Amino acid sequence: MKLIGCFLFLIFSSSFCIAQNEELLRDEHGKLIYYKLVEAKGCTKEQLKERVNLFLRKPYKELKLKTIRGDTVFVATGKLIINKTVLVMSHPSGEVLYHFQAEIKDEKFRFWLTNFNFVPYQRDRYGNFVTGGNKGMPLESSMDKLNVAQWKEYQVQTANYVSQFARVFKDYMVGKIGLDVAVPNKIVVKREW
Amino acid sequence: MKPKFLLSLLLLLSLTLITYAQEAGPAPLQISGSVDTYYKYDFNKAGNIKTYFANEQNSVSLGMIDLALKKTTGKASFVGELSFGPRGQSQSIPNAIGSYNEETNSFHIQNLYISYAFSEKFSMTAGYMGTFIGYEVISPSANFNYSTSYLFGAGPFQNAGIKAAYVFSNKISVMAGLFNDWNVYQDFNGVSHIGAQLTVTPVEGWTAYLNVLSGKSAGAVGTGTIFDLTTAYQITNKFKLGLNAADYQVNHTNEGYSGIAIYPQYAFTPSLALGVRGETFKIKSSGSHVNSFTLSGNIKSGGLTFIPEVRFDTDKDLSQSFMKNGLGTKTASQFSLAAVYTF
Repeated sequence: MKLIGCFLFLIFSSSFCIAQNEELLRDEHGKLIYYKLVEAKGCTKEQLKERVNLFLRKPYKELKLKTIRGDTVFVATGKLIINKTVLVMSHPSGEVLYHFQAEIKDEKFRFWLTNFNFVPYQRDRYGNFVTGGNKGMPLESSMDKLNVAQWKEYQVQTANYVSQFARVFKDYMVGKIGLDVAVPNKIVVKREW
Repeated sequence: MKPKFLLSLLLLLSLTLITYAQEAGPAPLQISGSVDTYYKYDFNKAGNIKTYFANEQNSVSLGMIDLALKKTTGKASFVGELSFGPRGQSQSIPNAIGSYNEETNSFHIQNLYISYAFSEKFSMTAGYMGTFIGYEVISPSANFNYSTSYLFGAGPFQNAGIKAAYVFSNKISVMAGLFNDWNVYQDFNGVSHIGAQLTVTPVEGWTAYLNVLSGKSAGAVGTGTIFDLTTAYQITNKFKLGLNAADYQVNHTNEGYSGIAIYPQYAFTPSLALGVRGETFKIKSSGSHVNSFTLSGNIKSGGLTFIPEVRFDTDKDLSQSFMKNGLGTKTASQFSLAAVYTF
């Protein structure tokens, strides 16, 4: 009986995890986007600038600073790996490249992630998963019937990643957490496909 | 007792799932592979076109099950990949005991190597690896066409050895190594081959490999050297062009081969693509030429790919022993339908 109870609890826990899936919004051009404007009371522009600079250099290994415009606009590109996981089997199935931009002012900042592009992996002759020169597809693209479920899952997993990324970025920028907080750079997993 | 056992098992699996969902630690053990099967019909009603794989006439036949493990811990990683079934056993070489023998055949090692990345630019690898020569490979999941080219069949399948790779930039990298004879686990005349690869990526989506492998195999009369160019260019999201050209010569003899194959492929949708392979191949010792034209479709749904394929070969010198009604013929054509599942 206890065993059944535990099992049911785990099933519900599982369902709860799935229920947390978020969806990305679309901008005026139809592109998927995560956008957030954040009030940062008591934080000067200089403080926020220093924090963005540090954030873009430390916790997310795949996040690369590209340009800083006018001292207040920070542009970076990032990458997350999508893993396929079934029971104990797991391997990467592709990567999602994205554009990150943050803009700061005194006591507030805004940031967004967009231009999500999924690049599928294929296994090469040495048993490694690589992009194989594939240019990928925008994540907002519609998919035909044969692959729609898998594509939807990529969107959901990307949204989950972005949600976690945004939470960490916001908390760090307003001083709630430090950079020593463990931030996984490869966290997107799924149960089945 | 039985329901309890099943529940325990489910509980264990559920726990595993939750652990993975929350995991942010080191890379997990990767498990991947493929399974393939096919039907082939030769229009001459004979087992013609004996290039490697898909060569059994009018039969629903087996390819192989391929199982690969990969684990990375820090800078070290290993890959172990075994295959079972005709494509990965008797039709590949060598078998488990390192020779080619149907009676003792058990499995074929596709990859078995350990790699260490001294830095982001420099790494070394030792073991038994898929060859760096050529466009096509044994695993059907990495090929667009299901049947394989004459160039593939004539070249090495795998090389055991030790190699060093250095990445100069995201456009240029080199590899150099010492290798055993082709397709052997153990080299009985010592490590006898040297090989190198120059990788050039002129623009995004276009990669070219210039390869050379040279050495004297056990029992050979001369040193064999193969020069190989393998390149693929994803020109647009839908159109990809590949090319393979190779020349193999054993010095002091007229043995060797040369050939060129071109691989244009067009993806109509993410689920449907068509591709052509056009090949011309020359056997130097006999001076005979073979030409081949293959049209393949790739219909994908998740991990499953259907590959319908038609192939037309011409062999004006009768070097391939094509048969029709019990007599030799210069042409052969076939239809095949393969299913490849990757996981």
